[in-house]
Amino acid sequence: MKLALALLAAMPLLAQTAAQQAAQPPAAPASDPAASPTPSAEPWITGSIDLGYRFTSTGGDNDVYRSVVNLGQGPRLLGLDFTIVDPKKRLFDHLDVRANNWGGDPYNTLHLNASKKGMYDFNFDYRDIAYFNLLPSFADPLLGTGLVLDEDSYFSRRRMSDFQLDLFPGHRIIPYLAYGRDSGQGTGITTFESDVNQYPVAAHMFDKTDNYRGGVRLEFNRWHITLEQGGTTLRDDQQAYDSTVNYGNNYQPYFGQTLDLNNLAQSYGIRGSSIYSRGLFTANPFSWLDVSGQFLYSIPNTSVNYTQLDSGNLVLQQAILFYTGEQALGFAVGKQPHTTGSLGFELRPVKRVRVIESWMTDRMHTSAAGLFTDMILQPLSAVQTTPTTLDSLLAVNYNQEQVDVLLDVTHKLTLRGGYRYVWGDAQTGAALVAGPGQESSELRQQVGLAGANFRATQKLSLNVDFEDASTSHAYFRTSLYNYQKMRARARYQIASTLALQASFSLLNNQNPTPGINYNFLSRQNSLSAAWTPSKRVSILGEYTRSTMRSNINYLDPEFLTPELSLYRDNAHNASALVDLALPGYAKLVPRLSFGGSLFISSGSRPTTYYQPLARLSIPLHKGLVWKSEYRYYGYDETFYAYEGFRAHLLQTGVTISR
Amino acid sequence: MFSNRLAALALLCWPLGAQTPAPVTPVPVAPAQAATAPSYVGSETCQPCHEDIYNAFQKSPHKLVDTQKRRGWEAKACESCHGPGSKHAGSGDKADIVNPARLAPAEADRDCLKCHLNQPTHIGRIQSGHARNEVSCTACHSVHRNGPNGLVARKIAAVNELCASCHTAVWAEFQRPYKHRLPEGAMSCVDCHNPHGSILRASAQAYAANEPGCFKCHGNLRGPFTFEHAPVRLEGCAACHEPHGSANPRMLARAEVRYLCLECHANLPTAPGAIKNPPALGGVPPAFHDLFSPQFQNCTVCHMKVHGSYVNQDLLR
Repeated sequence: MKLALALLAAMPLLAQTAAQQAAQPPAAPASDPAASPTPSAEPWITGSIDLGYRFTSTGGDNDVYRSVVNLGQGPRLLGLDFTIVDPKKRLFDHLDVRANNWGGDPYNTLHLNASKKGMYDFNFDYRDIAYFNLLPSFADPLLGTGLVLDEDSYFSRRRMSDFQLDLFPGHRIIPYLAYGRDSGQGTGITTFESDVNQYPVAAHMFDKTDNYRGGVRLEFNRWHITLEQGGTTLRDDQQAYDSTVNYGNNYQPYFGQTLDLNNLAQSYGIRGSSIYSRGLFTANPFSWLDVSGQFLYSIPNTSVNYTQLDSGNLVLQQAILFYTGEQALGFAVGKQPHTTGSLGFELRPVKRVRVIESWMTDRMHTSAAGLFTDMILQPLSAVQTTPTTLDSLLAVNYNQEQVDVLLDVTHKLTLRGGYRYVWGDAQTGAALVAGPGQESSELRQQVGLAGANFRATQKLSLNVDFEDASTSHAYFRTSLYNYQKMRARARYQIASTLALQASFSLLNNQNPTPGINYNFLSRQNSLSAAWTPSKRVSILGEYTRSTMRSNINYLDPEFLTPELSLYRDNAHNASALVDLALPGYAKLVPRLSFGGSLFISSGSRPTTYYQPLARLSIPLHKGLVWKSEYRYYGYDETFYAYEGFRAHLLQTGVTISR
Repeated sequence: MFSNRLAALALLCWPLGAQTPAPVTPVPVAPAQAATAPSYVGSETCQPCHEDIYNAFQKSPHKLVDTQKRRGWEAKACESCHGPGSKHAGSGDKADIVNPARLAPAEADRDCLKCHLNQPTHIGRIQSGHARNEVSCTACHSVHRNGPNGLVARKIAAVNELCASCHTAVWAEFQRPYKHRLPEGAMSCVDCHNPHGSILRASAQAYAANEPGCFKCHGNLRGPFTFEHAPVRLEGCAACHEPHGSANPRMLARAEVRYLCLECHANLPTAPGAIKNPPALGGVPPAFHDLFSPQFQNCTVCHMKVHGSYVNQDLLR
């Protein structure tokens, strides 16, 4: 078998060599195709470095400012961008490096690309993003009493690295290797839930996912195959702890006793891995037929060790049993085989007609099992141990078939019509339903598709896209059911200095099932303009008006009485940027830009968010520019006025370029 | 076992490779047609009139069309897209040359796909919204672009600007307070979407073969969990989050968490087998949760493992 596979792997190499030889024309001109395209007079390095200092002044709620903006004060490497072209092409032909926002900003990025023609292409991408999330209004049941316990808040950093190396041993066969790491680490405040009461406690999170993959692309004139094999490993450690007297969210006496938590040590040790495979192909066996397909398979699995030790004055609500300590141990494993396949083709039977057919299936079956043991420690009493088996299932089968016919009515007008059928089923262990049964649901949806693309002139085009769906079964009450979706976009280049674009989108969904009566309507209208009235002035402007209306019936959980959930979001969003070239000297032209964006919404969460800005760049010398930028952030919420903030940011520095 | 299947797949596809024809070569002009039909004149003929483009092209990745023999357009890269140029070279009339920018998008794309069709980036092309709506390759790619960074925007800000030039309403969502950090330059649209198309909805990027691209950065939420929260798997993160931006904290789709939960979890409990096909998933038994009490107004205070739990079926820990 190994010999056969080795032979199979070697065959493309042989075929490739033959194809290359066949492709050579009998007499090529004497020019040197490998000659450097870079004239020797050009510098070997070009690029720029942007250094500066940011001053900040904030008022209002600083925690919300950090949750929304989080730009701090201090010196910064705002940007670095350079390209090295090696005229001798030793290790690389060219090397590009881009870096942004280093030196304390919450969003650090770095990208490196190196390549050598006919040898390799290497890409490295790194991001370090700080997430700060502390919103007093989000999860603080005691907020009304003036107590802010900052529950469900966190401060963490996520670091993501990606390496990919593509090799070019030949023109047809491209092996590649890639590695990616995504890790997060931070602290926060989470809730330890015990019957009747919840206790805000400190938390520490660390998780890391490594992703290894390798594959080969076989690219021929009439077909292509990509085969990839990969795997991931996961480590996720979470801890929650507390060693103070904690009265939690419910500080009212319960049956005459005050509940508290004195000590907590809770930890999750989660380990996971996954093997995955990808097989992709495209082919055009005939000039009138393109075919493509893919087969994707993954099987992630996890295992968890859970330990919990807590003490205090706690209660088991069902038995109204007060206890002083608890020890819980849990172990579980889960796996999720997941298979996806698709097949599609584009058929061009006659010149003006294209038929696009696609089919896909997605099948995911999750199963998990484990054991959870809970030991209740009571004063002057025996230990009460409750073992519970953990067992669950989630099976999802999703299928979709779609056909579109595109007709070029004229050179300027293309009409499209189509049909999509979506069907599937899902089963889940009825975790939240009484008893050990299962819930199941089906999906049956028929969608009519239509569209038009009208290119009246090169300066005027219009695109319309419409879907109308009828559904007999949906997975959830809130899923799309009977809906109409429409998008329209028009572009008009009025003059060489003025271009307009308008777009409109609509989603209207109804689920008339008694007890649900879901009505959802979302509209977005936007208009943008780019105007360059003179060589020294350019103006960009955009305005978007969006509205969303959602009505759905639900049951009050306590008495199961029907209620209506209303959600409204009506927003105006505008942004503009005016760029002025100021009178210069010795070909050095200072520039002034100003504008910004505003967001004003009303409805269920009325909010205003202003972000005006102004920039001034003054060239001091060839390759040296002094830049300054002022930004203002103003955030206000009508219902949570205490969360508003205002921030002035002034950033100044120099850009050195070559 | 699986590797055997792949081997078999490769074997099945081999005949296609065997029938791979020689690369597209310019068709020789028959003598009878020579008087009227234009012929190929080579890229250097284009240089005197189109010097800027010619010079820029020397550093473009497309330059290899001029230099690679196997593609069959050696020294004729300009004409590989614009067609034979002898007539235009003689007359200087733009009507005498093919200008892909003036063609219908599908026609222009055929030009690009002559070389680029059989590449992995085009796996999902025919299913993509861009293809169905006839967004041409040249809407994003500048064919003559100078410089080593390719034919399309690479810098994060430039990518976002390019996408936002059409998707203005989507970009407006990123001006809301709670959003993914695109305007700040931490991410770009193509981190989440594949503009060429994808097997996932909204051309979303896939991760680890067929997982939603969200898990590339949020790997700790990937699971599988012992107790899954079904919407995460069935409808994706967008069941609860507005990934482009929202006025609601955590990019949630509702202003208050309880409504987000209760809109789904409002089915009456169904006894096993009582109803063959209940109307939807998400049934809940009655719970003594007084929604007037602040304690119960944010479900995630107690049901904190809302993305899935490893040890608790009620997602409490």
